[in-house]
This record gives sequence, structure tokens and C-alpha cells, in this order.
Amino acid sequence: MLEPFQLPFVQRALVELLLLAVLAGTLGCWIVLRGLAFPAHGAAAAAFPGLVLADGLGFAGALGGFGAALLFAFAVGRLGTRRGEGHDTLTALVLVAALATGIVLASDVFHSAASVESLLFGSLLAIGPPDVRLAAAVAVVTLAATWLLGTRWLTTGFDPASAPALGIRSKLPDTLLLVLVALGAVATLSAVGALLATALLVVPAATTRLISNRIPSWQLATIALAAAEGTLGIWFAVELNAPPGATIAVVAGAVFALVAIGHALVPRVAKAAA
Amino acid sequence: MSSLVAARDVAVGYGSAPVLRDVTFTANPGERIAVLGPNGGGKTTLFRALLQELRPSQGTLTTTGRCASVPQTERSRLDFPVSALDVALMGTIPGRAWWRRPTRTDRAAARDALKRVDLADRAERTYGELSGGQRQRVLIARALVQNAQVLLLDEPFTGLDTTSAALLEELLRELAQEGRAVMIATHDLEQARRWDRVLCVNGRQIAFGVPAETLTHDVLAQTYGAAIVTLPGEDPAAPHHAILPPHHHHHDDVPPH
Repeated sequence: MLEPFQLPFVQRALVELLLLAVLAGTLGCWIVLRGLAFPAHGAAAAAFPGLVLADGLGFAGALGGFGAALLFAFAVGRLGTRRGEGHDTLTALVLVAALATGIVLASDVFHSAASVESLLFGSLLAIGPPDVRLAAAVAVVTLAATWLLGTRWLTTGFDPASAPALGIRSKLPDTLLLVLVALGAVATLSAVGALLATALLVVPAATTRLISNRIPSWQLATIALAAAEGTLGIWFAVELNAPPGATIAVVAGAVFALVAIGHALVPRVAKAAA
Repeated sequence: MSSLVAARDVAVGYGSAPVLRDVTFTANPGERIAVLGPNGGGKTTLFRALLQELRPSQGTLTTTGRCASVPQTERSRLDFPVSALDVALMGTIPGRAWWRRPTRTDRAAARDALKRVDLADRAERTYGELSGGQRQRVLIARALVQNAQVLLLDEPFTGLDTTSAALLEELLRELAQEGRAVMIATHDLEQARRWDRVLCVNGRQIAFGVPAETLTHDVLAQTYGAAIVTLPGEDPAAPHHAILPPHHHHHDDVPPH
């Protein structure tokens, strides 16, 4: 049953996923708590044309992806601080524009259409040492940032109007959170691709949010869940010969659905039993 | 007795035109001061100036001792995964370098503050699950953790039942008695009459003084304008009895960003 995990490329994929689980557990919780799920998805999608551009022009893909994701995160972050509606609409428009630009660049400018699928949905079983190093570096940076800035992210999100009176006048912690969202999106790209980044960055944290009521326990539960979902996803993918990124996303989605249903039913059952 | 807040001819606002002007008052240790005014009249702007978030465009505003705000509880996220202790701990942020995490001393201070507001046994409870009155007291604890000498409360009695309101009023009396100045934005005239001073604002300061002398029909008419309802009184010395209609509790004097 555990035979797939004896294959070197599966082991490398597993290491990558365990590192990304740390990222999902720490950064993912802040993304969910601060309502950044859609911008996170957008940042990952925005990285796509950056990757195509890097591929076509011959520079590091992570750099191109990060540049584009960062640009997107800042644009959305700035718009998010403004009042009024239309913020989500604009995020969606930029997201579509990013995907369309990527496709046009890939098919008509650089003629690299063959790699589009792996850029959009990841290629977990073809992961290389640089991908693992990037995931490890981003996981460490996120852990350190959570340790140092977690209280500020929490306080600002809890009551933004009171944050300045509590000594949080600098916009730097929130800006750094956006940079981390962009970094996190880029780190997940090689594993699950631009379109499925939220399967790691948002879905596990959203799942455990239903059953946790403190930040530290929530983050630990999310790390454990993301690691379990990733491991199960790889195993299914190898056994069923299915694309790993999509398989992990399906597993994560199914677990979320089960937990959400259980969460909705438990109070009713308890009430009926009482 | 030296005052904790002294304002002289203060004008303050967000852009070129002040939202509030002609503000001259003092807040002394031990005083509870009702801040009366219509929504949009400048109460929040005054508090933001006291918190040094806004600089007066005119006049002088001196504060000795730290001012801390106690906002309305609905303004905070009730769905956040935080305990009462976590919220009280937020009050330790101003005293700490940004790279430092809360220390054991910080936690002890937060617990002490929760004890001071009679919530020692609720420290580990989730903030959003507490009652409105308890949440308000947690936010007061957060202000006490900051060693605030001046407490600025924004309509703290809104939505509280009679028992919680009585508990809160007693707590505010004690906090003032311990040497703090407590400024309370409110629409409740009867409550304001029980406190030490009233400050009436409506774009400018209308009046400041002890309630019995200050809360005249004229002052209230200027403060609340057309929103005031008057009933004929039997007392010839006070021929009109002023009644204020219920207010919404929006912060409409904060302009859009």
C-alpha cells in the first residue's frame, strides 16, 4: 500500500507538500482570518503570465511569478483599503486579464503552450530541488513573520479602527502580509499550479476554522490537515494515475464538505438528543 | 489639582475645514464627563484628537497621562478566534517593541485588568460568546492594560440590558474614583445629569460645565437642532422639558478614506 512512497520522485513531492503544509497552516490561517482568500487566488493566477514571461525570456520562473503576484497583491491590497463596492469585481477582472495574458503570451508570443497545463495545475511529481528550497525558504519566512507580527495582524483584523490607538500606526505589517501572500502563492505554483494554489493556501485553513476557536490550535490543526490531505492526494494520484495537483484539491474540497456538513449537523443532533 | 486634559480653542478635522471647533474644556482626575452631540457632531473626531490620531489645526490640546479608547463592541469582529484574555493583551502592544511578543508580565497585567472589571473567570472564554456588557468590560480592561489615565468611551451603554448597564455605570464610577478621567460619548441625558461634567458639541463646542447648569433647553436645542422634542413642564423655573429621539449609532463624522 505504501509502495508509491518508495519512489524517489514521490518522496520529493511529499517533502515539498510537508513544507507547503507549514505554509498552509501559518499563512493560510491569516489569509482566511483577514479575508484575503480571493486576493490569494488572484495572486497565484497573476503569477501565471509572469511564469510564461520568465520561461519565454529565459529568466528564473519564480522571479517572474513573484513579480506578477506581488504587483497583483499590492493593487488589490490598496484597493481593499478603500471603501465601497467593486473591490471584488476589480479583483475578478484583473484575475481574468492575467489568465488571458498568460495564455496569449504562451500560445502566440513564446509558443510555449505545452507547458501551460503544468503552470496552471502544477507538476508535483516533477518537482526539483529548487522548488523544495523555495518552499522551505517561504515556510521559514512565514513562520518567523507569524511569530513576530501575528499579534499585530490579529489586532488590526479584530478592530481596524482601534488599531492606531493601540500603537499600530504603521501599514508595514499589513503590507508584509500581502508580500507573504504573493510569496506563498509562488511557492505553491510548482506543486498545484496557478489555478489550484488555494487548495493549499485557503481550503485546509477554512476547513479547520470550522472546528477551532484559538489561533495557535487552528494553525497546528491546519498544518496537520494540509499534510494529511497532501499525503493522501499523492497516494491517490500515483495509485489512480491521476494529476496530483487536482487530486489534492479534490481531497481538500471533499474534507471541507464533510467537516462543514458535520459542523452544521452536530448542534442539531445535540439539540435533538437533549 | 492638575488636569489630565486641557483643550483651548481647539479646531480639528480631516481636511481643510474643521469638523469641530471652539473646543475649550478640562478633564480632571476623578471626573466623569458626558460628551453629548448628534451623530456627525464631532464626538468621534474629538476622541481621535485626544488619541493623537488627528492634530488640531488650531488651538492647543494638552494631555498628561495616556488616553485610551473603548470603542463600541460591535465594531470589533465577534467571529474572531480570540479569548477575552487575547483582547486584553492587545492593550500591551503600545508598550512593546514590534519584534517582541507578549511576556509573562504582559499576561499578568492583562489578567489583572480582567480581574479589575470582574471578568477574571471569563478570561479564557471566546470574546464573541460573551454578553454585550461583558465585551464592553473586556474593552475597558484593554484600556486599563495601557495604564490609561483618560478613558474615552464611545456610547458604551448602547444595547445593554438594565443589569449590565448598572454594572458598567458602577465600574465607570470606580475607575474615575481611582483618579482617572472618564469621557463618555452618550445620547442619554438622564445619565449625563448624574455625572460630573457635560461637554455639548455640534460642529463646535456648545457648552461645557456641570450638568445642572449646562443642560438647559437652549443648549440642548443648539446641540441637537431640530432633533429635539420639547414637552411643557410644570416647574416655572424650567418651563420646557427636553426629550431626545432615539439615535442611530453610526460614526458618520468619519469621512471616507
